[in-house]
Amino acid sequence: MLNANVINTLSGLLLLTSLLVIETRKPRQSAMFYSLQSLILVLIFVALATLMNAPQLYWWAASAFVTKAVLVPLILYRALAKVDENTTSLSTVSTPVSLLLVAVAVAVSYTVVSQIQLKAAAVFIPALAISVAHFFFGQICIVTHRNLFKQILGFCLMENGSHLTLALLAFRAPELVEVGIATDAVFAVIVLVLLAGQIYKSLHTLDSAELKVLKG
Amino acid sequence: MVSDILIWLLIVPLIASLAAVLARWLRGAVGSVLETVHMLSVVIVLALVLVVAGYVLVYGEVTALNQWLRVDAMGAIFVVIVGLVGFLAGLYSIGYTRHDIEIGQMDRNQLTTYYSLFHFFFFTMLLAVTSNNIIIMWVAIEATTLSSAFLVGLYGTRPALEAAWKYVVICTVGVAFGLYGTILVYSDAVNVLPESSMASLWSEIVQYAGALDPTLLKLAFVFVLIGFGTKAGIFPMYTWLPDTYSEAPSPVSAMLSGVLVNCTLFVVIRFSIIVNLSLGPTFTQTLFLIFGVLSLGTAVFFMLGQRDINRLLAYSSPENIGLILVAFGLGGPLGVPAGFLQLINHSLVKSMMFFLSGNVLMKYRSRSLDVVKGLMQAAPVTAVFLLGGAFALVGVPPFNIFLSKFMIVSAGMATGRVWLMTGCLLLLMLAFVAMFRMLGTVVQGQKPDNISKGETGWTTLAPIMILMALVLALGLSMPAPLVSLLNGATQVVNVGVPTAQATASGLTAGSLFAPLGLANSGSVVPLFRVQVP
Repeated sequence: MLNANVINTLSGLLLLTSLLVIETRKPRQSAMFYSLQSLILVLIFVALATLMNAPQLYWWAASAFVTKAVLVPLILYRALAKVDENTTSLSTVSTPVSLLLVAVAVAVSYTVVSQIQLKAAAVFIPALAISVAHFFFGQICIVTHRNLFKQILGFCLMENGSHLTLALLAFRAPELVEVGIATDAVFAVIVLVLLAGQIYKSLHTLDSAELKVLKG
Repeated sequence: MVSDILIWLLIVPLIASLAAVLARWLRGAVGSVLETVHMLSVVIVLALVLVVAGYVLVYGEVTALNQWLRVDAMGAIFVVIVGLVGFLAGLYSIGYTRHDIEIGQMDRNQLTTYYSLFHFFFFTMLLAVTSNNIIIMWVAIEATTLSSAFLVGLYGTRPALEAAWKYVVICTVGVAFGLYGTILVYSDAVNVLPESSMASLWSEIVQYAGALDPTLLKLAFVFVLIGFGTKAGIFPMYTWLPDTYSEAPSPVSAMLSGVLVNCTLFVVIRFSIIVNLSLGPTFTQTLFLIFGVLSLGTAVFFMLGQRDINRLLAYSSPENIGLILVAFGLGGPLGVPAGFLQLINHSLVKSMMFFLSGNVLMKYRSRSLDVVKGLMQAAPVTAVFLLGGAFALVGVPPFNIFLSKFMIVSAGMATGRVWLMTGCLLLLMLAFVAMFRMLGTVVQGQKPDNISKGETGWTTLAPIMILMALVLALGLSMPAPLVSLLNGATQVVNVGVPTAQATASGLTAGSLFAPLGLANSGSVVPLFRVQVP
């Protein structure tokens, strides 16, 4: 029987895949885990559409599948095929510290979300907390990794968090809103990937720590 | 139909952008074709923004596409800034790119890239300030980053690529915060408004703001302020400014500092109006004051240590944006018009200063204070304008920024915040010291032997002269249309705010700003009917 617990459980799986995206050393594997996470997001949209009788969410699911589960990972995967990933597999913190940061993000998000009084979201508080936490996971990924592609994946995690929040709180929003946000996010990834590629081609590095000519 | 004009305002730069892309495949000299299309576009846009502003002055607002596009008095101020500075940056680009081609710093492909991205960037900024749809506002602001990233990294050098990466990552992450804030407001509005299809329209949300969840709105506004504030150069996320402004082509730096920061402030102010209607003005005004003082206070210390003209000018942006936030933090019928005026004045002066810095770069091939000396000997006209521009930027009379700074300080005093204003004035004095330390080095002294005498040409001087004329004119008198727009914009922001809130000391906008024609600001007329279902 489909109920809110299914959505909350699937959101728990998002948490797991985010940890894999952040902690996996090779960006190409991170991109695969991001694709897996996006598939779970698609499942959440489908479940929400059925549970809340919101057919427009099926369109959201379809567009998320195309853009997030296929297009973005493919763009990242193809771009990463052209670079030597071994040049940078650089995390600035150890795995336990990273896990601690993720745990803090979840705790803070849950505390904040549980204070919001929205009837529509009352049964989805755990899922909503995880969606807000994803926003912070993305920043943790960006701050704790020096690899430019891992930083791009950090942005993708943030964007997945925003997408889930929108679906949970405004599942009756017109498809055009969702399409606008998803399209912009894809363009953001394309621009970031092109720029990272240009940096690699010109400067032969993917290490953000080596981008330190400009200071002060 | 005037709504068609609003649509053409967006279509024209898009066509120009596409034409510049197609020009890449033209045979022969592509420069003149690009320049013709480019100038046609910026001139038409300037004419259209003036028509839109004129229509707003007469009828109050212009809407199009089922209210997805809407320009009211507040929007008209921003639309005119985008159109005017865009036109002047466009004019300046002609001489600047010709020079870059001449010295081999730019090739044919880079030239087409420059003009196509220039117009796409122009389009995204116009979309941001004409949009009435809060989701499209976010999309437009995000698109400004994406379209300008390759303009920043255009030269492909190590510092340029580094600056572009920092710019795009910091701003994309920052604007993702803005998206979150936008989603929170939209999600709440969907559940409150009778028609969910209208929940993304700002003009509809403000009518039901009283019924929105206050906790959610507080959270959303913090996200919006930090997120969009990243692009506006608000503390603490302004670290991308000096790198970006120093590495981007000068006309792009002028657009980034003179126009883009305003577009993001426009979005922040729009959201603050929703929050004020729900929670009262104290919450947003307190945040504006805190972030304003922090931006101003930290930026001036960075200014003191700079050895590069553009980096110094870059840090002057958070200083001025901080002051604008302080003005909106003071709020009411005194602070708000002062904030808008400072915003307009800063745009004009800062874009002029980046054009001047571009002239210095063309002359010396450097912006370093260790290299640029004796400008009065090398290019006396540029030197005189640089002196004038620096005087204007720090707020010396009779230039325009003096007037807006005076209004902000007066508004602060009138609301009883004497210590805050004293602190701000002390910080502004430090900015004054930093600016004149730079001038002393650049303008005075002996020019290097390898630098020839002579100016950079009329195409690069004309925009500076136009801006200087505007800066002086606005310092000496306020044109009636501008006064009307300022009054109208103040009413838009102050809707639902008690007039007495900003007049604690008994002073009113009428008594303070009567000589400027802003006497009407004291009487706030609500433009929206607030409904609580």
